[in-house]
Amino acid sequence: MATTRSGAAQRPNGAPQTKVCQFKLVLLGESAVGKSSLVLRFVKGQFHEYQESTIGAAFLTQTLCLDDTTVKFEIWDTAGQERYHSLAPMYYRGAQAAIVVYDITNQDTFGRAKNWVKELQRQASPSIVIALAGNKSDLAAKRMVEFEEAQAYADENGLLFMETSAKTAMNVNDIFLAIANKLPKSESAGGGAAGGARRLNDADAPRASSCCK
Amino acid sequence: MHEDESCKFAACTFFAKNHPGESCGSNGLPLTPSSITILGRSQRLLTIEHTNLCTYLDIIRGKHERIIVVAEVIGKSLAEYSSKFSYEEIINISLQVTNAMMFLHKQEITHRTLSDDNILLDSSGRVKLFNYGMYYMTNEGNEVPFPLGLPRYLSPETILNGGGPAADVWTFGIILLELCIGKLWKNIKPGPTLRRILTLVHANNPAERIAREHDCLEAYKEIPETVRNLIEKCLKIYPSERATFEELIEDLSKINSKTLEDIKQPRGLMGCKLQYLYYWWQLTGGDIQAELKKNGLIKNSPPILSMPIAILLDGGTIGGKTGALFDRRIAKYSLDLLKNRLSHIPPQDFYPLMHERRKDYDAVALPKIIRERDTEYQFYRLLWFQRLLHGYPYTTQYIRTEAEIDIPPLERGDVWAALLGVVGDIEDQYERIDKETPTPTDRQIDVDIPRCHQYCWLLCGSAGHRTLKRLLKAWLLTNPQYVYWQGLDSLTAPFLYLNFCNEARAFACLSAFVPKFLHKFFLKDNSAVIKEYLAKFWQMTAFHEPELATHLHDINFVPELFAIPWFLTMFSHVFPLHKIVHLWDALLVEGPSLPLFMGVGILRQLRDTLLDSGFNECILLFSDLPEIDIGECVKESIDMCRISPRSISYRRFTNEPEMKDPMDIVEVPLDVLLSETCSRISLADFFSLTCQDKCCVVDIRSNLLYEKSCIEGSINVPYSGVHLGQHELKSLGAHPNKVLTEAIRQKKIIVVASAEDETAQLFSDYLVKCGVSRVCVLHGGVSALHTHVPSLFGVPKKTAHK
Repeated sequence: MATTRSGAAQRPNGAPQTKVCQFKLVLLGESAVGKSSLVLRFVKGQFHEYQESTIGAAFLTQTLCLDDTTVKFEIWDTAGQERYHSLAPMYYRGAQAAIVVYDITNQDTFGRAKNWVKELQRQASPSIVIALAGNKSDLAAKRMVEFEEAQAYADENGLLFMETSAKTAMNVNDIFLAIANKLPKSESAGGGAAGGARRLNDADAPRASSCCK
Repeated sequence: MHEDESCKFAACTFFAKNHPGESCGSNGLPLTPSSITILGRSQRLLTIEHTNLCTYLDIIRGKHERIIVVAEVIGKSLAEYSSKFSYEEIINISLQVTNAMMFLHKQEITHRTLSDDNILLDSSGRVKLFNYGMYYMTNEGNEVPFPLGLPRYLSPETILNGGGPAADVWTFGIILLELCIGKLWKNIKPGPTLRRILTLVHANNPAERIAREHDCLEAYKEIPETVRNLIEKCLKIYPSERATFEELIEDLSKINSKTLEDIKQPRGLMGCKLQYLYYWWQLTGGDIQAELKKNGLIKNSPPILSMPIAILLDGGTIGGKTGALFDRRIAKYSLDLLKNRLSHIPPQDFYPLMHERRKDYDAVALPKIIRERDTEYQFYRLLWFQRLLHGYPYTTQYIRTEAEIDIPPLERGDVWAALLGVVGDIEDQYERIDKETPTPTDRQIDVDIPRCHQYCWLLCGSAGHRTLKRLLKAWLLTNPQYVYWQGLDSLTAPFLYLNFCNEARAFACLSAFVPKFLHKFFLKDNSAVIKEYLAKFWQMTAFHEPELATHLHDINFVPELFAIPWFLTMFSHVFPLHKIVHLWDALLVEGPSLPLFMGVGILRQLRDTLLDSGFNECILLFSDLPEIDIGECVKESIDMCRISPRSISYRRFTNEPEMKDPMDIVEVPLDVLLSETCSRISLADFFSLTCQDKCCVVDIRSNLLYEKSCIEGSINVPYSGVHLGQHELKSLGAHPNKVLTEAIRQKKIIVVASAEDETAQLFSDYLVKCGVSRVCVLHGGVSALHTHVPSLFGVPKKTAHK
């Protein structure tokens, strides 16, 4: 991996060097709100009506190009069922970003999302960038969570907020892009976020930390 | 009649309704196609058996919402007989029809489409109703674009607003009347026919009125009074006034003089179960759809013709494929192909005897998937299993032995139930469980079911969804110590898939499966259970794949990250159903430690990729698991399981009786287990390995202790002299290197014996890092062995040392 990165940094054609940053991102939220579907849409551009439930967690990566930086997301997609809650810290520990997802047609899932935000604020790295995603916006006719309500909540807590639809792809790339833009891309900030929390893959800590070249 | 004999089954086909406009339901999921609803509902019909009903054999979902119904046929339909029947014959036919109808009504199935072309009669006078389940499978006609039933057989209330089972009695009355006075409303179009039927509403005696309309009053009066009475009892305008089939049978039995001669059950191939014949016929290359095409029942029209001419803004369409009426033709299939294929089989082979078990199938060496497609092999297997299952539960041991070879797919549901020891009145037990009362878990179940194995046509329909929910609720209610963990849905799916029409048995299988394979996994706090399981899985990986284990350990790729769904669902959340069945075939035979080795088997298949990959690539690989050859994986895992001493895969959280004998015990506290790379072997297992000369003992105590007394045949590698940093056997010295290399070559099990656990673990870990397979640690060390089996000890031979 390290070689790939340096390869990107030293382009043979002599183009200006782009910074490559890696960030660990975790998706949290009640089950069946569309976490896996959001990731699948973002990573593969696909949508499956009958996306299987996630047990434990799934892992995917995707790269985004910003103006002068290439951002590589290592995405942990977690199980939504409350019972799997005890596994969650394993995944959000050391994450620099989180997307907390709820289903706009279900008020309970919004409540659960708020709990996730609280937990992240308490337990996760203090500099974590949290985005709130109101998914299934294609089902606006059955909306139970008002846009304004969620926006107000997001503002209060300093969260990025968008309503998304994995099905129609609305705002899916945008929310990841917004996170990428908000993430600190300087050496010091990145290092701080990862500090001591890289338990999952300690072995490849140099690669997995968000330091940039 | 010769022709009839070789035609045992027939097919008819129709299109299910297309959903107009919006293709999404309120939950954002696509609406279930009607053909899938039909498929789900019709499964029940496949299980119905009655002498006067043609057995349903298959419901196939073709392209473009096409449904093909395959069922038994006999003789010809009444409509095809040109000559008139005598009253004696009419009464006999009627009696059999009413028998079938009474049976259906008891099953709460309304026929609705009874007509002279689906009542079949053979030369011996046997009557069977064909495709009596149209109304039932199409959800009262709601899932098809055409009306059900021939106009002239519809009862007045059916024409007006639907009507219930009593409509069948009216239809039967009309058929009976037709048998007596000839076809009614011939050459009259459907509309006028319906109008004529409706005008009967004002008649006092509709039967007589019909006869008068047809200028047959004379003939009508000539019908024997007993028969006429019957007709009039059926043709009452008010459904509630009509006789029931039960009453009709009573009347008919009184006037029936002809007793049906017992048809001799044919011997040989034609005497085999119809379902088997159909299955074998398919294996020989029989193709239902091809025959339908040949007979013009399936017509291919250019796809452009099915495009709508216009699409409205609301999604509705104009033009394009218009709903055709139900094509009443059927295609019959000859079994000649199958007869020829099996013609060389000696007659006695149709009746296998338990004590003459055939062992020498040629096909047995072929992969399972090929065996499952081999006509002759499946012929022998099915007949043999049929016999064994017939004797269940007394034949359990035989079934287990045979299942070890393979399980014929057609009887898999039965065989699994037998392997799981399902006995007793399971229907009654299941009946008593409350599966309806809402619980807080329902929401989770409701969101999981529409995501569970939905590529399977059976499981994705509403019938499948409902049944799966009932099964889960029933299981949760009867297991109050457990809770619903996501994944339980996937675990239940294979049982539902194999027992779609036998909910009680699906439940009984699940109930027997969990304690055996997943004891305590569904506890609210299952972390200890899962931790132990994963630790054991990791130890088995180190045992059989040391190099891989070392690599994965180095990159900190722990099983918690990927293997929880594997074991929590016994791989049912990981693989599609056609692979799960093969995995579970082996699982049910081999027992609860096999899954650990299946996990290793999967890793082994991905070995090369994993060894070349870092953490991210590895985890990506498992998030989107590549194609796994299940046949190979099963074979390897069984091999691994069998060469592994039982005690090394010992787990505390099982349903098996607690080990009492110190010779058997290998148990350690969970935190100790989690820290150990290598498994412990019990003294008993070690003893039996030693007796078979299947192990190599490495004694790592000091040379002083070793010289005093040692396990016979062991080598001494004093721990204090080992350089743990050098992962090469050579560094252990020439003699140990030679002995170990030879032991590895002979695939012996390497047992590390020490005075204390800590050094034993460090040294065994070292051996794993050196790439040595099959390393384990003697539980309790040298001293425990000395206490219990002192006879194994001696003084080292001087020749061992140069």
